Amino acid sequence: MEERRTFFKRTGVLILGLTGIATLSTAVSRGSSSTVRPAMIIDVNRCTGCHSCVIACKEHNLTPEGYFNTTIITKDKGEFPNAWLTYSPELCHQCENAPCIQACGYGATFALADGIVVTDWDLCVGDGACVDACPYNARFLDPNNGNKADKCDFCVSRLQKGLAPACIDGCPSHARVFGDLSNPQGEFADYVRLLIQDQPNIFEEHKERLFHTIAKKG
Amino acid sequence: MTEIIKQDTPADTIDRRQFIKGTAATMAAIGFTASSRAEAEERRRVPEAHYGQTADQTDDDVRVVHSVCLGCNARCGNRQVVRNNRLEKISGNPYHPYNSMGKPIHYDTPVESTLHLPSPVCGKAHDAVGYVYNKRRLIKPLKRCGERGEGKFQEISWDQLIREIAQGGRLFSHLGETRDVPGLESCLSDALIDPKDPKLGSKRNSFAMITGRLQSGRSEFIDRFVKSSIGSINRIGHTDICGLGFRMGNFALTEGKQVELKADPWGAEYILVFGANIYEALQPGINTYGAAVADRYAKGEVKFTIVDPRAQNAAVHSHDWVPVIPGRDGAFAMGMIRWMIENNRCNSAYLSLAHLDAAKKKGFSCYSNATHLVIDEPDHPGYGQFLRVADLQSNPTENDKTIFMVLDDDANPLPYTANETALLDREASVMAEDGKTFKVATSFALMKRAVFAHTLGEYSTFCGIPEAQIIKTARDFTSYGTKAAVCQYHGAGNYTNGTYAAFAVALLSVLVGSIGMKGGYLTGGGAVASWKNGEYDLNNFPGKKKPTGVKISREGGKYEETAEFAAKKSQGGTGYPSHRPWFSFTRGGLSVEAMSGIDEQYPYGCKVLFTYFYNPVYSTPGGYRYRETLRNSEKVPLHVSIDIGINESNLYADYIVPDVTYLEGHYGWLNPHAPALKFTGVRIPCLEPLTGRTPDNKPFCLETFLIDLALALKLPGFGDNAIAGSNDAMYPLNTAEDFYLRAYANIAQGANLPQASKEDTRFVEKNYPLARNRTMFSDQHWRQLCHMLARGGIFTGYDTGFSGETFLHGIDRVVLYNEKLAKTRSSLTGKRFSGTVQYLTPEDASGKNIAQQDQDYPFTVITYKMHVHTQSRTTWHRYAMELFPENFIQINTLDAKALGLQSGDKVRLRSVSNPAGITGKVAVTQVIRPGCVGISFHYGHSQLGASPVLVVGAKDVFLGGPEVCDKDGVTGVPALGAGTNPNLIGRLDTNMANTPLVDVLAGIPDFSSTRVKIEKSA
Repeated sequence: MEERRTFFKRTGVLILGLTGIATLSTAVSRGSSSTVRPAMIIDVNRCTGCHSCVIACKEHNLTPEGYFNTTIITKDKGEFPNAWLTYSPELCHQCENAPCIQACGYGATFALADGIVVTDWDLCVGDGACVDACPYNARFLDPNNGNKADKCDFCVSRLQKGLAPACIDGCPSHARVFGDLSNPQGEFADYVRLLIQDQPNIFEEHKERLFHTIAKKG
Repeated sequence: MTEIIKQDTPADTIDRRQFIKGTAATMAAIGFTASSRAEAEERRRVPEAHYGQTADQTDDDVRVVHSVCLGCNARCGNRQVVRNNRLEKISGNPYHPYNSMGKPIHYDTPVESTLHLPSPVCGKAHDAVGYVYNKRRLIKPLKRCGERGEGKFQEISWDQLIREIAQGGRLFSHLGETRDVPGLESCLSDALIDPKDPKLGSKRNSFAMITGRLQSGRSEFIDRFVKSSIGSINRIGHTDICGLGFRMGNFALTEGKQVELKADPWGAEYILVFGANIYEALQPGINTYGAAVADRYAKGEVKFTIVDPRAQNAAVHSHDWVPVIPGRDGAFAMGMIRWMIENNRCNSAYLSLAHLDAAKKKGFSCYSNATHLVIDEPDHPGYGQFLRVADLQSNPTENDKTIFMVLDDDANPLPYTANETALLDREASVMAEDGKTFKVATSFALMKRAVFAHTLGEYSTFCGIPEAQIIKTARDFTSYGTKAAVCQYHGAGNYTNGTYAAFAVALLSVLVGSIGMKGGYLTGGGAVASWKNGEYDLNNFPGKKKPTGVKISREGGKYEETAEFAAKKSQGGTGYPSHRPWFSFTRGGLSVEAMSGIDEQYPYGCKVLFTYFYNPVYSTPGGYRYRETLRNSEKVPLHVSIDIGINESNLYADYIVPDVTYLEGHYGWLNPHAPALKFTGVRIPCLEPLTGRTPDNKPFCLETFLIDLALALKLPGFGDNAIAGSNDAMYPLNTAEDFYLRAYANIAQGANLPQASKEDTRFVEKNYPLARNRTMFSDQHWRQLCHMLARGGIFTGYDTGFSGETFLHGIDRVVLYNEKLAKTRSSLTGKRFSGTVQYLTPEDASGKNIAQQDQDYPFTVITYKMHVHTQSRTTWHRYAMELFPENFIQINTLDAKALGLQSGDKVRLRSVSNPAGITGKVAVTQVIRPGCVGISFHYGHSQLGASPVLVVGAKDVFLGGPEVCDKDGVTGVPALGAGTNPNLIGRLDTNMANTPLVDVLAGIPDFSSTRVKIEKSA
């Protein structure tokens, strides 16, 4: 495993050298730039609505039937014959100052140092306060596990192994792009740049770790 | 071959790194932050520490196998992760271009260093876990113990299965059936099947095997048994229900050389999609084609327009949606062609190039016969055929009979290779040496004449699309030079007369000159190396039979050569019509006409029917008609099904042989679909078979069944000493691996692969169940094989397929006028078919317009595949069913308003062929054309677990054991039967024994002409 991480690191450094994105990382950085801040950017212009991400997530996280850590919101647009369906992948936004953390009376929900919001099931009593508090409907109580609260945690166990979150691995068109806001690299950096270009205040207005691009068609 | 691999360009690698650096590199950094003790401690408190997760490919306690998916036939690679001998997870194979939008990692990359790389598959692929462990999977052989179709079975031993099917006899006397059931043995006779007609072949043809989802590997294995060992001509594929119409358009275009061509999604700037469901289905699938289009759409590199009665999911990114009337794609295409001709928007410079060398000189890889002359004089004996040098000479040489002619600038005829260009749009008179003059016309002029048979306004009316939209699409399509092409699939032409619609659609790409060009209309690049030749001769064996005669589907057969024709003619008639249509001009794979032929015992009767992974009752439009066929023991004296479960069709079988899934077997070499790429993926099982075993410890499956039958009947080509090696040694064919692994060795050798590194060899030996067979090979051959096995095949990237702007593996020539088609006569009327495009509406066998006949049924049914489903077999996909538990009857908002219907209302659909109809739930939507009913094709099962089946001793027969059984048999789960199957109301043809409607030219089953009434039901 250590060997693989070294490989990654080398790859990362090599490519960082090719792109000069130091200034960019300062532009979106809040707090210490040495703190890794994982985030996901979803390019709706690449999303085909195929649901592979949703199934990959189910396959990895084994959430109970009918419960999802990530979903795709499908909406009708336009009128015949200028009509189509839109697809917007959704999951926990990993909010800074998350309402779910504030709502939990037991200190069960908390943020890891890198900002990923998780729930300690030893402390969770399953009263659902965090579920109600979530503005994104991203949480649920797991009936298979004593009604403890669950939600997306960017597959932290996979991150620790140097693997992408299951949904990233599962996205055929790379509509989900994952990276470090403190040190954006490669395509993730391109997307950070695109977000700022199209939505100049996005990082001020959305103190979260999930961002969507704007649909070109509409 | 090695050379091709090494050609991977730096651009490929960098592009791939672009993704890796955005994800994997970051993950490494994140991983590092977790390495502090406090952080690690904190992470132990997250929920997953409590409930655990499925294994990851980098875990120490897993086996990882690179293989090829069979969630559908798209042939993406996959990476199977197995823990404690249980499949836990599927992801993609980063070496495979289908998992990387055409841009895989470098082929020589050491395998261990790739395991962390993200590599996607679609939802269907992930769902393999639910599929392989489905509790209603059959693991033991069954024999019917009630009447045909009654749905009563009992387990029998393998030996009894083989003996009874081989020998036949009074197999059902215990049920009161006195008939003598013919065994396979009864088909091993060279006596004529019909003494009156030697053209029909021998009694060997009374054995037929119809194959549903079949791929290379098993296809060759089955052919060895059916064709080469038994000697029957009747191994019939299912290309017809897969999508024959669009293939026929390409078949006409390429003179049968290639049937799949598609717009190049990596190079095109504009793609015109006709009935190809690019974000939900297609081959290559949504993981490849759809993903590449979406990626390039996001980058502003490609635009596309969808021609489809349903705004498929891809409409989210499309430039336009053209909601064409079902069955009228050809009218839209011909309207476009008319406008392109009238407004000089055809690539005349390309079309004027008269031969291949001229085309190559101008930077193309393929020429068209647009300038070639056709004899246009009705009284001339060669009317409708190409003018050849011989036609103008009194004493022609043999060579003169082969050389096409064109017109030079002064309209003088000359051989087509004389000049680089020739007149394109011209009708003329030519004089032969004997002084006779007659009319000729260029292929282009004949196409134009057919196109100009209708005005743009008429085409607009036919296809239900405003003239302005036809013009807009034609202008768009002709605004990108050779970087525009069509992508047509199932929907374009999947109806009677569909050949002509799809031919017109295919010609659009030729008219802009994009055939064979980067960004244009491309074939696939083919296999990397041959499976059958090399170290092992898998093609020939002593005693190999060569089948003769005519297929029961009549595909490829010439009616005019039959005794039936001669007899009818001798009675003073023309010889026409034949009893059922014959199809001398078709790609074939006519499963529907095979079933109808069996039903009518025409042109001869079938004695023994094997069906493999084939469910015609469910999967054929109008397939419910075949319940009657399969129930009838006169028409089907012995029916053996090989499948993984009890479905709507093998419910009527005499025997069901349990098969393995693609996670346990289905070895095969999977070559690319169109467009562009060149590779050979190999399927490698990650699990030992879950089925039962023979006394000699072979798994119950297709291969063991055929091998054991061959051994019982002492057929050639199987058993000890069945395979010849290059060194005069003989090898056995007693197991599936004996055949497939030798084919793999041939491929690795033919590709000149290097010896695998020690690490890669260890990867195979540690992870792959087939490593048990390594003693079949010398160390040297094993190491070479391991280089391929470790990577799941042999792959190249997109760029290696091109030289500059031209595709290296394409075809040389396409036609605007197809002479063979022009010579073909309808076996029902004796009339000749048109050699170029024409506008025709869908008709029944009597030539009557179906829409007019069924005008009291105001809605037309269209069907489609969903992104998470495949055909008939994915109700066993657990996550697909969780996400989409049922399907709906989709109707447009305007129609819903007129009918007073709302989403969720229950309705009944009645068709003229099924007046009792079917029911389902309405979904009201804007994304379907008014007048159409859209129903996805996966739901509405009555079997595959949806209903209970009486099975004696069921708990030993099904994978789930007692959990899925009660005292009577296997239980049913209503949720597996949710939704609606549109095929149950499919249009039948009253002119043809009320069998499912098919096209009389090519045998295309009709998926677009069934009309229905919608009634609100309680």
